[in-house]
Amino acid sequence: MNISARMIIVLTVVCLFSGLSLVFVNQCSKPQIEKNAVDTTQKAVYKVLPNVKNIEKVVSGETVIFKGFDKDGEHIGYAFVAEGNGYQGNIKIMVGISPELEKLIGIEILESVETPGLGAKITEDEFKCQFKGVSVSPEIAYVKGKEPEKPNEIETITGATISSKSVVKILNVSIEKVKEILKGKENRGEAKDE
Amino acid sequence: MSNVRLYMEFFKGFWKENPVFRQLLGMCPTLAVTTSVINGISMGLAMTFVLVSTSIVVSIIRKIVPNQVRIATFTIIIATFVTIADLFLKAKFPPISKELGPYVPLIVVNCIILGRQEAFAKKNPLHKSFLDALGMGFGFTLALVILGAIREFLGSGSILNFQILGGWFEPWVIMILPAGAFITLGFLIALMNVIDQRLRSAV
Amino acid sequence: MNIILIFIAATLVNNFVLTYFLGICPFLGVSSKIESAVGMGFAATFVMTLAATFTWLVYHYILLRFNVPYLEYVSFILIIASLVQVVEMFIKKFSPELYRALGIYLPLITTNCAILGLTLFMVLREYNFLESIVFGFGAGVGFTLVLLIMAGIREELEFADVPEVFKGAPITLIIAGLLALAFMGFSGLIGSA
Repeated sequence: MNISARMIIVLTVVCLFSGLSLVFVNQCSKPQIEKNAVDTTQKAVYKVLPNVKNIEKVVSGETVIFKGFDKDGEHIGYAFVAEGNGYQGNIKIMVGISPELEKLIGIEILESVETPGLGAKITEDEFKCQFKGVSVSPEIAYVKGKEPEKPNEIETITGATISSKSVVKILNVSIEKVKEILKGKENRGEAKDE
Repeated sequence: MSNVRLYMEFFKGFWKENPVFRQLLGMCPTLAVTTSVINGISMGLAMTFVLVSTSIVVSIIRKIVPNQVRIATFTIIIATFVTIADLFLKAKFPPISKELGPYVPLIVVNCIILGRQEAFAKKNPLHKSFLDALGMGFGFTLALVILGAIREFLGSGSILNFQILGGWFEPWVIMILPAGAFITLGFLIALMNVIDQRLRSAV
Repeated sequence: MNIILIFIAATLVNNFVLTYFLGICPFLGVSSKIESAVGMGFAATFVMTLAATFTWLVYHYILLRFNVPYLEYVSFILIIASLVQVVEMFIKKFSPELYRALGIYLPLITTNCAILGLTLFMVLREYNFLESIVFGFGAGVGFTLVLLIMAGIREELEFADVPEVFKGAPITLIIAGLLALAFMGFSGLIGSA
């Protein structure tokens, strides 16, 4: 058998084996991987909407908003993912907001690559807790180096001003978007369904 | 084949021919994922899996693969096992998969793996190739654990996520940053050189 | 605006070598002389830009269309390897002087983690076609930049009195660490933009 033929045969066989084994492994792992993604989102929703028992999805294009109900069927709030640029990279936040879209119930930082020891402090409770009950109108604002006075203010982390500001900006932008979507659906009488 | 010789194939990966400290290969993941010991171990095991699997396959088919296509063939095999490892981690250990991130697929271009195929697996029988791969893999893991331990200890005051140094310790944040990785590895290799020199003058 | 941000980010802020540790092997091996650094840098940038282009096309028009995204790693590395092969043959034929100048660096580019790395990032971050090309180009420029700086420093270092045990890899790594620290100063660039 000449060299060229052998080369082609060997490469083809190897590619075939590679392809087949990957298809097989993918089939086996796919369900678990998808389940993992759903679990992570669910866990985040439970964290920002305490007492939530049931979740319904409200979908608008690419945006998914979770509607949370407690064990008595009361609508306790909405949860959605907010994303944007931080100091070092992308920040992904799960946001919990009250049913009337007036106050935040809480936030959870899903993904961030901020500077360890400084910007990374946005993942710590001390920063996140500030957002519990903060008013979103006209929009969330930040103050630096002093106690927040107004109901829509939070204090930036010392030495991590940009990361803190980024979080506030990301929240404001997505809250606006979510408000538009939900008000739009309300006007079209869809809010009660799904 | 004497047993001593076989042991040598395994242990050479630990010190004499340690892929990271001696051969200076596979630096990319070494620097990137050693922010903690757990990450180091995970990456080390993932890489060992790929290395051992690839070496086994390459050693088995070594007589049939024509020389001209060997690199392409080895690469396909490596990429296949890396994909398997990646899918496995994503399914069974999602938090680890997230920590290691894109560095798992980057095992494909980890010079150590292709290097071992070229230098060893393609010209050695199965049992020797297996031991060589296992030894190199463990040597790599050892290097990652050492680096990871130093960086985690000084950078967060913990080892394996157990807080060892209490609140009084102001962590050396630089250790977690890329700069700390470079500097620590640089000093470690210098240290290896010192130890090597002493050993040689002692003999 | 976004395109410019991506370029600046790839080159300075999130420099591939100093932030993501990609391309370390050639970085350690080729950065001792400015000439070789230039050669490697240019060749790598060229391949990176092309790689970004082709892998994006294959990913979106083949892998996604046939719903086989898990073949990403295998197909990408094959594309990169073939690309390097083709580029090498091309340069050899049309510009023998350039070929001789680049010499051994061309085939070495295949195992440069930076190339595969940038294609992986580009998929992860879901860049569009133009963004991907700019990203690839920026990554190459950043790589070349760092390589040049390092080569310049190392050439000076030849005249310094480096302790025996530090010669070679150790001192280069430590310098890289200092460079990484310096480059951290660029961090605020995208945040404030």
